[in-house]
Amino acid sequence: MNLSKTWVAQLDDYVIDLAWSPDGRTLALASAAGPVTLFDAAGARLHTLPGHADGTNAVAFAPAVIPESGDRQPERSILASCGQDGSVRFWDGVSGTQTAEAALGHAWLEHLAWRPVTGYPVSGIRNPVLAAAAGRKLVLLQPDGSIAHAFKDAPKTLSALAWHPRGGAIAVAYFGGVCLWAADDFRAQREYAYGSAISALVWSPDGRWLVAGAQDNAVHLWLPEEDQEFHMSGYETKVRELSFSHDSRWLATGGARDACVWDCSGAGPEGREPLALPHADRVCAVAFQHAHGLLATAANDHEVELWSPTRQPPLIATVRLTAPASKFAWSPDDTLLAIGSQKGGVLVLKVEG
Amino acid sequence: MSADQRIPVTVLTGFIGAGKTTLLNRILTGQHGRKIAVIENEFGEVGVDNQLVIQSDEEIFSMNNGCLCCTVRGDLIRILGRLLKRKDRLDGVLIETTGLANPGPVAQTFFSDPEIRDAYRLDGIVTVVDARHVAQHFDDGRETKEQIAFADVILLNKTDLVGAPDLDRLEARLHRMNTAARIHRTRNCDIPLDHVLEVGGFNLSRATDLDPRFLESEYSFEWAGVYELAAGTYQLCIGHHSAGQQNDHEHGHEHGADDHHHHGDENELDVALLPVKSLDAIDLAAARDLAVQVFSDQEKPVKPGDAVTPGTTLQRLQLADGHGDFPVTIPATGRYMLFTAHDVPTHLHAADQSLVRYVHDQTYRHEHSHDEEVSSVGITLPGELDAKRLNDWIGGLLAKKGQDIFRCKGVLSVRGSDKRLVFQGVHMTFDAKFDQPWGGAPRTNVFVFIGRNLNREELVSGFKACMVS
Repeated sequence: MNLSKTWVAQLDDYVIDLAWSPDGRTLALASAAGPVTLFDAAGARLHTLPGHADGTNAVAFAPAVIPESGDRQPERSILASCGQDGSVRFWDGVSGTQTAEAALGHAWLEHLAWRPVTGYPVSGIRNPVLAAAAGRKLVLLQPDGSIAHAFKDAPKTLSALAWHPRGGAIAVAYFGGVCLWAADDFRAQREYAYGSAISALVWSPDGRWLVAGAQDNAVHLWLPEEDQEFHMSGYETKVRELSFSHDSRWLATGGARDACVWDCSGAGPEGREPLALPHADRVCAVAFQHAHGLLATAANDHEVELWSPTRQPPLIATVRLTAPASKFAWSPDDTLLAIGSQKGGVLVLKVEG
Repeated sequence: MSADQRIPVTVLTGFIGAGKTTLLNRILTGQHGRKIAVIENEFGEVGVDNQLVIQSDEEIFSMNNGCLCCTVRGDLIRILGRLLKRKDRLDGVLIETTGLANPGPVAQTFFSDPEIRDAYRLDGIVTVVDARHVAQHFDDGRETKEQIAFADVILLNKTDLVGAPDLDRLEARLHRMNTAARIHRTRNCDIPLDHVLEVGGFNLSRATDLDPRFLESEYSFEWAGVYELAAGTYQLCIGHHSAGQQNDHEHGHEHGADDHHHHGDENELDVALLPVKSLDAIDLAAARDLAVQVFSDQEKPVKPGDAVTPGTTLQRLQLADGHGDFPVTIPATGRYMLFTAHDVPTHLHAADQSLVRYVHDQTYRHEHSHDEEVSSVGITLPGELDAKRLNDWIGGLLAKKGQDIFRCKGVLSVRGSDKRLVFQGVHMTFDAKFDQPWGGAPRTNVFVFIGRNLNREELVSGFKACMVS
């Protein structure tokens, strides 16, 4: 294992979100103040987009679209962003120009999720499709800014979105529960009641587990196909940080000084002792690689640690930042780890071997 | 000075049109150059001149099976959480609620969510009251009363539209509802900003600012007069047609005879006669505090013709048709303060039948009536509390009545500690710590409850049962 620092950069404010383009050539970084900056993989600043007035909240690159038969459209890179101004903006990920906008009202837009491209279309909606949450409203947008579908309003403000890995349904969380909307007929497949606020939602890559990180210091797991659910309580704080390993076996969670890694194989984590990966302060970010076994965790004491949870000892490396990390993004090929910081710093590490 | 690095938050409540936005703009103007985030309700009036204005939709989260005490504002958790995601720290946050908002969930947001609690400090709740229309708002719903009850500071605004007697009555009413709040009269919300910012309303250490004088409405006596008396025998005449009465009503204490209907037996009057060093406020307050203790003791019956004596014995005078004459024996020349449970005609005559005039008198509002749904119960009691009994009582009380007790604060004297125990609660959430030492100050307990349908007798007896006997 070889770990090296490849480049650093500084934004004007807190790095609130960051995303790699599907080809791994572009890294988009959103500052909480608004601007979105595009870098190439070597750290050259390509463009600074205005983002959103009063602040940007999220950025996401559209997945590479598998050309439908007979479709000879040139592939283009689409970046979506959303913010405090209640709009979603679409940008050309290469030229940095805005290509479309969807104004969805006065509510903050905090959550974006592109539907995973699986080859089959959704009820006449062309790929790619972007789900966006504005207050209690969930809409599906096309990259031209048009609304392909607006779902029934949720009972409370939407707090998290997660597409099923095969794109057949989207799970949305709000105070009081989770709803699973089907992507074909837009009906509610399932509604799960939950007695608190939910801060994060994640699916295991195999689609077996749907996991919520909750305000009541707990992680709640559903097995939608098996009609089972599990509740893991006893965290120190609300749980906002969740990440699954690529093989769907390990679930890493924040919400404490230790990053907890649960074994979700077989019957699941209940009754199993989680692996506790220690930090000296509250964990603020966790991210497994897309197709490999490394886990990155960060804590409020400015430390970032890399783990191989199945090895003994699991700790691979420790990196100290000048401020606490805000978010991680592994490049699509898992060789670069981009780390945004709460003071606007960006560090990109190269992981080899 | 303050080690508390958290971002101060001020909540502005009040009925629509009372002047919240005017106050908001005054604060922003006065805080020019500081980075203040304003969280406005979705119906917020336009014209807030600030860079960072966020509209919220007042979303209620009931954390625990709909229990009101576990209710927080989800929108505030979300917005305040987002406001932390910035490189530079904010200098402050102002939250303007709708006129119909219940301040309870707003306040509880700052205590029940650890992330919010670690980053923000709820400094105070400021309630703006439209002096002209508030009485009508009291009748329209419970919100205005709740906003009064939760306030640390009340601005009685638009005073130019209401006459002075009405203002006095209104202020007295607000004070009865919330004795712990500071009330300021304003026009156009024109007020020095230090009256509404950094008020430390939820700061435990500032709980020692709790001034017993602000709780005076809750004494169990209604009147006191200070007499300068030489050693000798006097005659105390209660009621109008007493034997020794001369044609000098105007010189005696007549006030309250007609406009007051007494509760309880009209043929009993509890009195205490206590020596007082001087007419200085501190000595009068000491005598008053002693009287509080005396009035909580067992009373000694005094039949007509029996003597009233100075000292720390509560004496229950037996009257006939509201009247009675009692000899008073004064062993040593000095100043004496006569406390009476009711505000009734009271005359003191010297041996030669001449009237002895008091040199100072004071009335204490004793609110027997429970005409207000929202009220305050203040308790001032010298002595020491038993920590375990206190803990059991408060825990049980808030578990049972927490929904109706909006706020409580106290500065308490606990046996075994030379420090003041300061106490602060919102509904069921409470916090207590030992603060500065008593030093030479008299160990007195001051406790105030503000809430709905409070039972004063129950609270007082519960509190007394925590005293070290």
